[in-house]
Amino acid sequence: MADRDPLRYFRIEARELIDQISAGVLDLDQQPGTDQVARLLRFAHTLKGAARVVKQQEIADRAHEFEEVLVPHRDESPPALPADEMRELLRLNDEIAGFVDALSGPPKAAPDPAPPRDLGPPKPVIAPPPPVAPTPGAEPAPVPAAPIDEPAADRAPERAATADLDELLDAIGEASSRIAPLRDGGRTLAKLHRTVEHLGDRMRVGRTTVTDAAARTAVRRLAGELGALGRRLTDAVDQVERELDEVRGRAEGLRLVPAGSIFTALRRAVRDAADAEGKRVRFQATGADVRMGPNLLNLINGAFLHVVRNAVVHGIEAEDQRLAAGKPAEGTVTVHVERRGRYAEFRCTDDGRGFDLAALRRTAEERGLLLPGADAGPQALIDLALHGGISTAPGVTEVAGRGIGMDVARDVALQLGGEVSIDNRPGHGATVRLVVPLTLLSMNGLIVEAGGTTATMPLDAVRRCVRLAADEMTAATATARLAHEGEVLPFLPLAGALHAVPDEDGAGPGSGVAVVLAADRDTVAIGVDRLAGITTLVARPLPDLAPAAPVIASVSIDLDGNPRLVLDAHGLVAEARQESAAARGDTAAATRPKLPILVVDDSLTTRMLERSILESAGYEVDLAASGEEGLDRARSREYGLYLSDIDMPGIDGFTFVARTKADPQLAHVPAILVSSRASAEDKRRGTEAGAAAYVIKGEFNQEELLAHIRRLIL
Amino acid sequence: MTVRTGTVSRRLHRLREDFDQSFAEPARSHDEEHLELLTIRAGGRPYAIRLSQTSGVHPDRPVTPLPGPQPALLGLAGFAGAVVPVYDLAALLGHPVADVPRWLVLAAGTPQLGLAFHTLDGHVRAAASDIIRESGDEARDGRRGSLRGLVDLPGGSRPIIDIPATRALVHTLAGHAQAGDEENAP
Repeated sequence: MADRDPLRYFRIEARELIDQISAGVLDLDQQPGTDQVARLLRFAHTLKGAARVVKQQEIADRAHEFEEVLVPHRDESPPALPADEMRELLRLNDEIAGFVDALSGPPKAAPDPAPPRDLGPPKPVIAPPPPVAPTPGAEPAPVPAAPIDEPAADRAPERAATADLDELLDAIGEASSRIAPLRDGGRTLAKLHRTVEHLGDRMRVGRTTVTDAAARTAVRRLAGELGALGRRLTDAVDQVERELDEVRGRAEGLRLVPAGSIFTALRRAVRDAADAEGKRVRFQATGADVRMGPNLLNLINGAFLHVVRNAVVHGIEAEDQRLAAGKPAEGTVTVHVERRGRYAEFRCTDDGRGFDLAALRRTAEERGLLLPGADAGPQALIDLALHGGISTAPGVTEVAGRGIGMDVARDVALQLGGEVSIDNRPGHGATVRLVVPLTLLSMNGLIVEAGGTTATMPLDAVRRCVRLAADEMTAATATARLAHEGEVLPFLPLAGALHAVPDEDGAGPGSGVAVVLAADRDTVAIGVDRLAGITTLVARPLPDLAPAAPVIASVSIDLDGNPRLVLDAHGLVAEARQESAAARGDTAAATRPKLPILVVDDSLTTRMLERSILESAGYEVDLAASGEEGLDRARSREYGLYLSDIDMPGIDGFTFVARTKADPQLAHVPAILVSSRASAEDKRRGTEAGAAAYVIKGEFNQEELLAHIRRLIL
Repeated sequence: MTVRTGTVSRRLHRLREDFDQSFAEPARSHDEEHLELLTIRAGGRPYAIRLSQTSGVHPDRPVTPLPGPQPALLGLAGFAGAVVPVYDLAALLGHPVADVPRWLVLAAGTPQLGLAFHTLDGHVRAAASDIIRESGDEARDGRRGSLRGLVDLPGGSRPIIDIPATRALVHTLAGHAQAGDEENAP
């Protein structure tokens, strides 16, 4: 839809940015501050990127000049801009504003056969030529020669929207057709009414023709017909209700936008950056169907424009270097969108050189962010890149650089309550991961009933459902395992996971259904009493004051306006694993509540990364930013495990572990050290201090970490 | 005979509805000398709540249980499309009982919060002079953190449950910062 007028959103965004830039320049003039410079740089950088995407070269150039003026002052405290530079900033700001205003004028209709630009092979479908009003006197934007090679995805959002409307209309049609039995019922009711009146008349006048027997027969027949009618009406109402539920779910879903709607802009950004760099880069995207709120997607789009551009400019090597490294000449940038329970994960992966750690270290040292010769591991360096001020590009290029891209990603994550992390594979590429919580999410759900509670499971995680006889159910519940297709799956009765009040459990579990769920590359079986259908629903976040078990993802509203729980596939898988392992080990552990994990690390990114890994595996996590804080927390609460960094200000990880081991209250809690130190000596010190495992950050592997934790905490 | 009970029960029903309805509506006026109070029982003990600190009273509202770390959190209730967490007032006051509370009072303010109690005794107007403010030493007992003063009423004096203090307690239990930081998220 945005393709019809490529400038539609740009005008809005640009105006917002100009407002912010204008205000920022004035602030800077009156009360200079380092953060103001950083903010202005971010705004200008965002504007530059957005302008480039919509081919507004004049604006992009001015924004670039704007940055040029500010960059020398970014590390000054307070920044001291000479008056002429301040004037220059204001002048550029006005010029940009002028260009944007010119864009907003009525598009020149006829004599503007805007070149097809690079909108792909001509597609006569919907779009009139984009109403780009070229600014008078300006050079036309450079038109890249080759057309975009994957045209199909460009129109996907529109098609999806139409399909949604069709589905909604189908659902409405279905609901209307269910009204017919009700109308029939009304006619039958009228007929019965006449019969009753007739009968009443005859009884009132006391005609001798009505014998007791005849009256009895008539009344009996009437009762039978009324009963049948009642059943028919109940059925019809049930069906109408179900259909209305469907209509409601689909209509609510229309408010949401498929993630694929941002792929076009990302594809364009990759292409433009590749052109500017003289590289060949292929763009791939998956997960177009994940739907979420339009505001959220807009913000992510802004951040990911920088991320994909960075991947092309910093990540993908020049062709000869790639060939020398044994890689295909054409680089690949992949964007992948996935829903993970109540979070959406956006990943950008490139197959380039990865982050240049040596360059990062050099720049960090030059800027005084790192003491020369200090022992900063790969993760610590990447943390620095995440926190801005460092770029690995050898020279500041026009397209990307200055580390501002990562700053924007981090800001967006912060704004949305999410997290950003980087997985670096030197020589093989890098992955930037942005995980944000979803507020509204449309999904298909399987309605299940267990222990008197009704809940919804995300249908996309359900592999199949298996009916279980009462004795199979009992056996599976007792062993917490279920044999399924030659595999033994962990089995979790849902009623237990929901702490449902065991109402009729005196007789033990009756027959039921095992729902086979897959998530996190793991498969488990969840035992429920019965299945109650499939529904389309809009899941909303749990309210603020309602902390819930990890098996609960969100909540939806049923037809009566009452909340219904939406289960979290990841949480259920983790819980089933844990319960099953506990049942295998000792039965006492099965009843013990799962203990939280304490993460001790001075790096915010590492804390957040570890928290996200642990929480998606179903653990509750507390955080401490130093060894001292860690000890305080450890003494204030019962933990199942400590996960500690080694190098921290104050006491280090060895000391932290050693002190917990020396404290009789804490000595029984296992500890894992996670560090960038990889030497055998450090591992030995870790073991001596009492750590149960040692994980090297450079080789940080989520599965390995979780395997250690499962081994220790169960 | 049957006709009579029918009429009586219908009348009773109507009276009960009128009565309930009167609480569902916000208090209309407050003056300096008088205080509108709800007299309630939570976990078998008598209390009073200032009507001005609430935004509605509802009987028999379905509450969907929510498994989680907070035993005082009964679950979630739906109000006009919004999902509201409901806490057991008796448990918050430190004397939980097994009975499921029948009544629900919505606390004024945001984020939305429902507090459930067992019995509604009535709605009274108390003279300001009947309110006895307590000295500070009560505050030291954490359990009594939600109570602020007493009111002298026919039938005995009742502790007054302060709704903002109760809200603060719930915020602490739920690990929620006072500022609604997620409200800006789309």
